[in-house]
This record gives sequence, structure tokens and C-alpha cells, in this order.
Amino acid sequence: MYGFEALSFNIHGGYLEAIVRGHRSGLLTTADYNNLCQCETLDDIKMHLSATEYGPYLQNEPSPLHTTTIVEKCTLKLVDDYKHMLCQATEPLSTFLEYITIATLAVAQNMRELYRLVLVDTPLAPYFSECITSEDLDDMNIEIMRNTLYKAYLEDFYRFCQKLGGATAEIMSDLLAFEADRRAVNITINSIGTELTRDDRRKLYSNFGLFYPYGHEELAVCEDIDQVRAVMEKYPPYQSIFAKLSYGESQMLDKAFYEEEVKRHCLAFEQQFHYAVFFAYMRLREQEIRNLMWISECVAQNQKSRVHDSVVFIF
Amino acid sequence: MSGQSQRLNVVPTVTMLGVVKARLVGATRGHALLKKKSDALTVQFRQILKKIVSTKESMGDIMKTSSFALTEAKYVAGDNIKHVVLENVKEASLRVRSRTENVAGVKLPKFEYSADGEASKNDLTGLARGGQQVQQCRVAYIKAIEVLVELASLQTSFLTLDDAIKTTNRRVNALENVVKPRLENTISYIKGELDELEREDFFRLKKIQGYKRREIERKMVLAREQQAVEKLQLLKGVSYESSNLLAGTTGKDEDILF
Repeated sequence: MYGFEALSFNIHGGYLEAIVRGHRSGLLTTADYNNLCQCETLDDIKMHLSATEYGPYLQNEPSPLHTTTIVEKCTLKLVDDYKHMLCQATEPLSTFLEYITIATLAVAQNMRELYRLVLVDTPLAPYFSECITSEDLDDMNIEIMRNTLYKAYLEDFYRFCQKLGGATAEIMSDLLAFEADRRAVNITINSIGTELTRDDRRKLYSNFGLFYPYGHEELAVCEDIDQVRAVMEKYPPYQSIFAKLSYGESQMLDKAFYEEEVKRHCLAFEQQFHYAVFFAYMRLREQEIRNLMWISECVAQNQKSRVHDSVVFIF
Repeated sequence: MSGQSQRLNVVPTVTMLGVVKARLVGATRGHALLKKKSDALTVQFRQILKKIVSTKESMGDIMKTSSFALTEAKYVAGDNIKHVVLENVKEASLRVRSRTENVAGVKLPKFEYSADGEASKNDLTGLARGGQQVQQCRVAYIKAIEVLVELASLQTSFLTLDDAIKTTNRRVNALENVVKPRLENTISYIKGELDELEREDFFRLKKIQGYKRREIERKMVLAREQQAVEKLQLLKGVSYESSNLLAGTTGKDEDILF
């Protein structure tokens, strides 16, 4: 398969790949972020954004701007991009794109919402039937349920990408493995000191990624952050993440993970003729929206000294 | 002032003087007590004011930190975290109780918060990402609530104290400027009336004494004349009866009191 996909990829995917690469060049650059960080008010931010792709979405907003409005409008732009691409896509790209959004669907808002999502035919329904029996639904912690679903989703997505083969499989498995490992570490850190048992914790880890299977066993018994660190340092790709952090510190871990993720997603654009660019683009946009939210919150709350703490530059 | 000229409408007697004097003593003592109470309340008032100022200052910082913690949580965990947090809440973990505190006879409402033991309710929120930030945000907002409760309690007692101080001061002023002058006026009025009566009596006595003396003198003159006449008559040989007339009149004189 490898190499031959260049022959036929452009028949169906060429147009959309061109589009997504065009969108990519619309992502905010470091210079943009630097300008945004200099802003004094939300209106300044709006003015800066009007020169970017977000301009048309924000231009009709009345002046007392709120951070939620900015985030909302930027998300709207992402959704519009996505819908446009989904309309143009053919199989198997359309399925691939649907997989990307399941991640957002999985963030169902409450038990009833989950139920509704299952009853209405959504891509989530099969996961439900396979991981949760109906009697579980009543007494299960919604957070555990959601994580179980997410695990099933990740594994399914992973299998689907393997099925697609070629460069897509290669790059996507790398990205998804990172996602799975990050989840495993986060679950471990966040469940330290809670009533979640080791077995339950172990069950929430996805069954692939660099940590699978031995790392998971070690993570499952971790009792504090330094043990997690010890586990992670055995895996060379993750050594760099902890190298930035001092011992016993977990505050900056999220940012370190985000940075690593962004780096990997950017690398996905280095190759041509594969679907991972769509995934990477969506994720980069999400990160960009998070950045914008952070900057505008910092500006709105007058905490400009912390504005650089969590902004992850994409380029 | 109108209060200066006022007095109570009483009968000017010695008894009434005693009663009014007792009332004046009572009013003076009450005035002193109320004055002390007002001072005590003012001291408390000042303390509360000082506390309110410092609490408000710290509240600014704490609210800032907590809302920033919320931003951090949103950044890491995504906007949807709100629903998950709401879903996990069964009942309020912080409760505010009110009790009253007694400061110089004024009941001040005090609010106290108490945390239920259910701190681990939201433990699994944001398990996959942002759990720690959610917990931090929770801690930050609990601190903010503590400060708010304290501030609310201070503010309420501030208002109540303010009211109490105003009432007390009004009472103090009323005692000082209305009740006491009125009683004093009454006392001086009664004293004046009594003096007047005394003077009248004295004058009447003087007058009567004067009458009596003049009468006696007149009679003495008469008697001397009589004696002279009797001597003349004795010389001439007169009856015994007429000398008895003087003795009879002196014994039966109704006008003489003493």
C-alpha cells in the first residue's frame, strides 16, 4: 500500500486535503499570539482577530464583549469548517471525519443526555452496548462511564485507522497512542487519593499506546506523582515532558502535554496523502481556541502576568 | 429651646417635690448608663468597620484568584466541565448558620459556615483531564465563600449596630436635653411656689402680731386711763366691778392665736 496511495489519493481526497492545508495556514502564528498578549481590552483582541480567519464571525458582535462570546464564535468557525469538509468527503474519509467528532460527542452533559445520545442513533450507540449494561447505568459514576466510553471510542478509532492502512495508519496510530497515554497518565494523577480502586483505574486505560501493557500495570499501582514520573521516564518519548518539570510538581504537566501534542500534530502536516491532517487540524484548532480563551480570560481578569503560562504556540 | 421653659404639670407641694427629685436622680443615672452603652457600641462599631475594610480588601484578591482558578480548570478540562460538576452535586456541602451575639445589650446576627464531610463528592470529575484543576478551583471558591460569609456577617452586624447606636444616642439626647431640664424646671417651680407660700404666711403673721400689739397698747392706754379714773373714784369712793372688766376681756379674746 505504502507509496501507491499517491496514485489514487487525489481522486477523492485531493480537494479536501488542499482545503485543510489552506485552513492550516489560517491558524494563528506566534506573531499573532504576541500581538494578542499585548492587548489591554477584549475589544483590542477582537480588533486583532478581525484580521484573521475569525474576523467574519466576530465582526457583528456588539461591543461589551465577553470571553464566552469569543470562544463561542471561534468554536462556531471550527464547526463550520468541519461541516464544510464533511459535506465534501467521500468514504472512507467521511467516516474518519465522523470519528473525529465523536470525541466531542462523548462529552455528553449528563445521564439523561447520555441516554438520549444512545437512543437516538449516534455513532456512540455501539460503544454503549459493548461496555455498559443497562443495570450499570443507574449506579455508575458518570465520570467513570464517560471514560469507559472514551476508551472504547479511542480503541475503535485506532482499529479503524489500522484498517485504513498506509500513511494514515502510521501517523494516526502515533497520534492516538499519544492521546491514550496522556489519558492514562491523567487518569492516574487525578485518581490518586480518590475511591477509585486500582482495578477500576486499570480498566479505564485504553488497550494500546506505548504504555500498553506493562506501563499500565505500573501506572495502576502508582500512589503519588513521583511514581508516575518514574514510570514515564522509562519511555524515551515522554522523558522530555518530565524533564521540564521539577519533582513533585504537576501544575505544568498539562501544558507540557499540550505542547507535545501540538508538536506531534504539526508534524502530521509534513507528509502528504493521508487523513491524519484532518485530525491534526481539528485538534490544532481546538488548542487555538483554548489559547484564545486563556488570553481573553487573562485580559478580562487583569492577570496579564500569567498570560504566557498556558498559551501553547502552534507554529 | 422649647424644652427649657417646659415643666411638668404638678401641684407645688413638698411631697411632689420629693417625687420629682427622685425622678431627676433616676433620669441622671439612666443618662449616664445609656451614655456608657453608646460608647461601648461605638467602640464595637469602629472595630467592625476596620474588619470590614480589611476583609473587603482580601476579598478582592481571593475572588480574583478563584475566578482565575476557574479559568485554569476551563482551559484544561474544556467548557463542558460545568455539567459534570453540576451532575455530581447532591446537596450543598457548605452551609451557613446564623446565631446571635450580645454586645452591650444589642443582638448582633453572626453567620457561621460549616462544611459537611462530603468533600470527596466531586473527586472523579475531570478524570481524564483537568481533575486537579477542578479540585483547585473548588478549593479556591470555598475560600471565597468563607470570606463572603464573614463579610456578610460583618455587614449585617454593622447595620444592626448602626441602628442601635442611633437609637441609643437619640435616647441619651432626649434625656439630656428634654427630660432632665423639664424635671429641673419643675423642681425650681415647686421650690419657688413653696417659698412664696412661706413668705405669705410670714407676712400674715407679722400683720396679726402688729394688730395685737396695737390692741394691747390701746387697752393699756385704756387701763391706765381707767386706773387714773379709779384712783380718782377711789379717792371719791367708786364700785369694784369696773376693774374686773379688763381681766374678762383678755381671757376671751378670739383674735389672738398664740
